[in-house]
Amino acid sequence: MMAWLQHQKHALTSSLRRLAAQPVATLLTALAMGVAISLPGGLYLVLGNLNQLAGNLPAQPEISVFLDADISKAQQQAIAARLKQADIAHARHVPKDEALAALSASQDLSDITAGLTQNPLPDAWVAQPQDTSRESLARVSDELKKLPGVAETHLDSQWADRLQAALAIGRTGVWVLAGLFAIALLAISGNAIRAQVLSRRDEIHVSRLIGATNRYIRRPFLYLGALQGLLGGMAAGGVLAIAGWMLHAPVENLASLYGSAFQLLPPSITEIVLVLGLTTIFGWLGAWISVNRTLSQVEATR
Amino acid sequence: MIHFSQVTKRYPGGHEALSGVNLSIEQGELVFLTGHSGAGKSTLLKLIAAIERPTSGSLTVSGQNISRLPSRAVPYLRRNIGLVFQDHKLLFDRSAIENVVLPLDIAGFDRRESLKRARAVIDKVGLLNREKANPISLSGGEQQRLCIARALVSRPALLLADEPTGNLDAGYAADIMSMFRDFHRVGTTLLIATHDDRAISALGGRILQLDHGKIEAPSA
Repeated sequence: MMAWLQHQKHALTSSLRRLAAQPVATLLTALAMGVAISLPGGLYLVLGNLNQLAGNLPAQPEISVFLDADISKAQQQAIAARLKQADIAHARHVPKDEALAALSASQDLSDITAGLTQNPLPDAWVAQPQDTSRESLARVSDELKKLPGVAETHLDSQWADRLQAALAIGRTGVWVLAGLFAIALLAISGNAIRAQVLSRRDEIHVSRLIGATNRYIRRPFLYLGALQGLLGGMAAGGVLAIAGWMLHAPVENLASLYGSAFQLLPPSITEIVLVLGLTTIFGWLGAWISVNRTLSQVEATR
Repeated sequence: MIHFSQVTKRYPGGHEALSGVNLSIEQGELVFLTGHSGAGKSTLLKLIAAIERPTSGSLTVSGQNISRLPSRAVPYLRRNIGLVFQDHKLLFDRSAIENVVLPLDIAGFDRRESLKRARAVIDKVGLLNREKANPISLSGGEQQRLCIARALVSRPALLLADEPTGNLDAGYAADIMSMFRDFHRVGTTLLIATHDDRAISALGGRILQLDHGKIEAPSA
């Protein structure tokens, strides 16, 4: 047990010393890893921010119910009664004159409404259903549409649904990208470790002759791979932090033009720890594959 | 301690380096292995350290059958054998003392204890004032003494030396040989491959003559 700890300590310090002894190579490898990781990482952050944006929008989806122009009094009352039922949280009647007035009030359309000889708009209700799931919205909307005197219903939540669907594609994309770049990470780590093994063949050969086990020889390279993965993860954090810092002002500027207080969200501590952990594991894994392959080649040439 | 019984070693390509060797070396013996180059001296030493495996016959070292030793057991066998090479095989990316400490690191000794032991051995081979030097700055004789220090630091019961004085002038060679005599006196088993006749006559001990892979004179 003591010997095992002694070995781990020895391997870790010798790996650290080796990284410090080759700062340029270490930095380049970390940067290559950092750039590779920052692509899926960046996409993930962008999606998180878009999701936040979608969440900030008026969450209550509304159903607009447009009435026939020649609707009877009895039909009107039946519709009003239906909209008072339990599955409707809130309903508001919008007479056509009020709708026209609202339209005239908005700058761009006042010219058009001024030229109208009569009000082309129908009377309408705006209803907020109790249950806002997509299926239930569609069902209520369909049901209202079938009432006599209703010309048309319109679901205002459609674009939010589309955004959610687009975000879902984006999320799948993050996983695909993350998978691809995990492979890239393995390759970068494996390549760096291979160079290390080849540059230390003499040491490996001598160590074998004086009783080193496979594990003893492998261990410092595995630590090296893991440390390099960790550095790569930190480099990715650096790349994303710089990108976030550069985007910060323009995004807030754009948000303020839309009258929103939207701000870029940084990743959470859990997410940072998770990414660093994963890059460390993949660095280690790349080293493991590479060191086993390269060692057998090195020994075969003796 | 070492028993060869009808051991033959044939290298890929057909060259037979050892043919039907019978040989016993007891604990605490001092044995010289002589013969022309290519007679099989190095091969014999390599077989004992399990660097090569016998093609046929049986070879036991410290009670372990080398022909059947699983490769995961080889490192533990080698930790009980000190190896001295003609070309020293020192590592030039670290100081002299770090070279000597390497076997103890490999065996998992406490670092401070290791350094203490390494310093004691370096003192014994007369290099204490050079412990921080890079081995590349040492003379040939000093490099050989450092290699011996590395072989002895883990206090092996058996020391194998392949032409330890091959590249040294007479003065250095005598130094090294008297060092070996000291180790022999404290009970280490020594097997030294050499064709330095003066050294052999100075130290005494058994002489094994190899000729084209066969033992010529089992004892002298």
